[in-house]
Amino acid sequence: MEITQDLTVVAKKESSLSSIKIREAIWGFLFITPNFIVVLIFTIFPVIFSFYMSLTNWNILSNPTFVGLANYQQMLGDSVAKETFLNTLYYTIISVPINVLLTMVLAAMLNQKMRGLAFYRTAYYLPVITASVAVSLMFMWVLSTNGLANQLLGIIGLQPVKWLTDAKIALNSVISVTIWKSLGMNMIIFLAALQDVPNELVEAAAIDGANRVQQFIHITVPLISPVIFFVTITGIIGSFQSFDLVYNMTKGGPGHATTVIGYYIWQQAFNYMHMGYGSALAYIVFIAILVLTISQWLLRKRWVYTEE
Amino acid sequence: MESKYSSLRTLDYGRLILKMLAVTLLTLGAISMIIPFLWSISTSIKSTENIFAHSAFWIQWPPDFSAYTKILKEVPIFQYALNTLKVACIVTFGQLLTSSMAGYAFAKLKFPGRDRLFVFYLATMMIPGTVLLIPNFIVMSKIGAVNTHWALILSAVGSVYSTFLMRQFFQTFPSELEDAAKLDGCTPISFYWRILLPNSKPILLTLGLMAFQGIWNDFQWPLIVLSRPEIRTLQVGLSYLTNEYYTDWNLLMAGSILTILPIIVLFFFVQKYFVQSFKLTGLKG
Repeated sequence: MEITQDLTVVAKKESSLSSIKIREAIWGFLFITPNFIVVLIFTIFPVIFSFYMSLTNWNILSNPTFVGLANYQQMLGDSVAKETFLNTLYYTIISVPINVLLTMVLAAMLNQKMRGLAFYRTAYYLPVITASVAVSLMFMWVLSTNGLANQLLGIIGLQPVKWLTDAKIALNSVISVTIWKSLGMNMIIFLAALQDVPNELVEAAAIDGANRVQQFIHITVPLISPVIFFVTITGIIGSFQSFDLVYNMTKGGPGHATTVIGYYIWQQAFNYMHMGYGSALAYIVFIAILVLTISQWLLRKRWVYTEE
Repeated sequence: MESKYSSLRTLDYGRLILKMLAVTLLTLGAISMIIPFLWSISTSIKSTENIFAHSAFWIQWPPDFSAYTKILKEVPIFQYALNTLKVACIVTFGQLLTSSMAGYAFAKLKFPGRDRLFVFYLATMMIPGTVLLIPNFIVMSKIGAVNTHWALILSAVGSVYSTFLMRQFFQTFPSELEDAAKLDGCTPISFYWRILLPNSKPILLTLGLMAFQGIWNDFQWPLIVLSRPEIRTLQVGLSYLTNEYYTDWNLLMAGSILTILPIIVLFFFVQKYFVQSFKLTGLKG
């Protein structure tokens, strides 16, 4: 009697438990669904669809025609694409290290008690919250023939420079504006990292006779190396996609001097309606970023100091 | 303390020099951050004939606001602002809703395949926006959303990234509260709505601000999907100004300042959450 009673109680409990579990699972699916549908339609499907598109010729108005790898072959013979890739490489190699180095030093200097800290920080944040179009317009004016930059050069007796219209200089100008706009962003990330550096370590180094600069190079930099690495990778990824400043300030010119890959993809797809070729170019960027991100995951453990 | 030790005195001089160097560099940097803004403001209050007539440092006083009145009269900048505000608000609320729901499910609800799905979600964060532009344009044109604000809203109301951050935040939510709620017969949806959300204001504000600012400042996607003038967002409208007012720098600067102003005002009100959202944006891989 007793045993059977116990058994039914247990069975009841189990069935109610599993029904609770099933109900929770149903709620789980329901809660994820809205977000998942959006991600499915506008992120996952497009990535796959984009690869198919890169194998077609498509101007949107007619139907796509399958051309196999022709778009990727076309890239090899496209001298503008070659110039674009080189520009992107140059843009990345110049802008990312300067940005990382500058922001790290700025953050280190800001990470101490001093007067007017709030003012400094706000000053560096302003360009970050300003939309890239407004930044572009401001700098088109600053860098114009009679602009602020040339007038400042004039004061110290130098000739005016064609910042945005000289093919040799324009890309450097765009890079400078990019750096100007993004300094505050990485600075915040470095500031957060610096605040996590244990004070005891730095003080111990100070007692051992290390000066401020030595402390920074030998103690702080290794400790924040994961952040340096991270900021570098995200900087590279960002520069592979840069579009706004180039579009507004130079339209990729003069000639193709400032055409970077983010701009060239847009131009091919939405100016010339070469959807297939544009997709192929975008896929190259995708693969490059994928390789970078995965190598970041794999190499992080080896290159970067961790406490374990 | 340190200055009591004479051996450390020399270090103090070095420290002082370093600090002075730091202050000088920081100040120079800060000035170079602010000057372009000041010059834009100064240009925007110049009369057209004075833009090129004087040196860059000449300030017109009393100011001439005709650039502002002209731009407000000739350009539907209020319409652009309303368009942008509408889209930004809908996206912000939509994104907060869907990603807090999904984040809650990933953090607290058990269902088969949950963790594998989450890893899949994380993997999609590697997909760069550039590769999505062309296929999403095709999708939007197939569903008839091109040239409507739906094109801006639909693709942004679900975000993997903010789902991920919501999950991280909800995981730290005390499980005692959850157990107590369960004992009281609280269903997941009433727990989510009545306990979880009211207690998650910081993350909701931060991510909401991030979404709002992202939409407000977004340029490339609206440029691609909006070609009808009356539905343009502020950024797209501002960009088109350069075609009409080629070297009317006072007008262009007035336009820029009008589009920046709302975000700067917002920034000074909720600076803390802005800084927090920068940190989180920075973590986006």
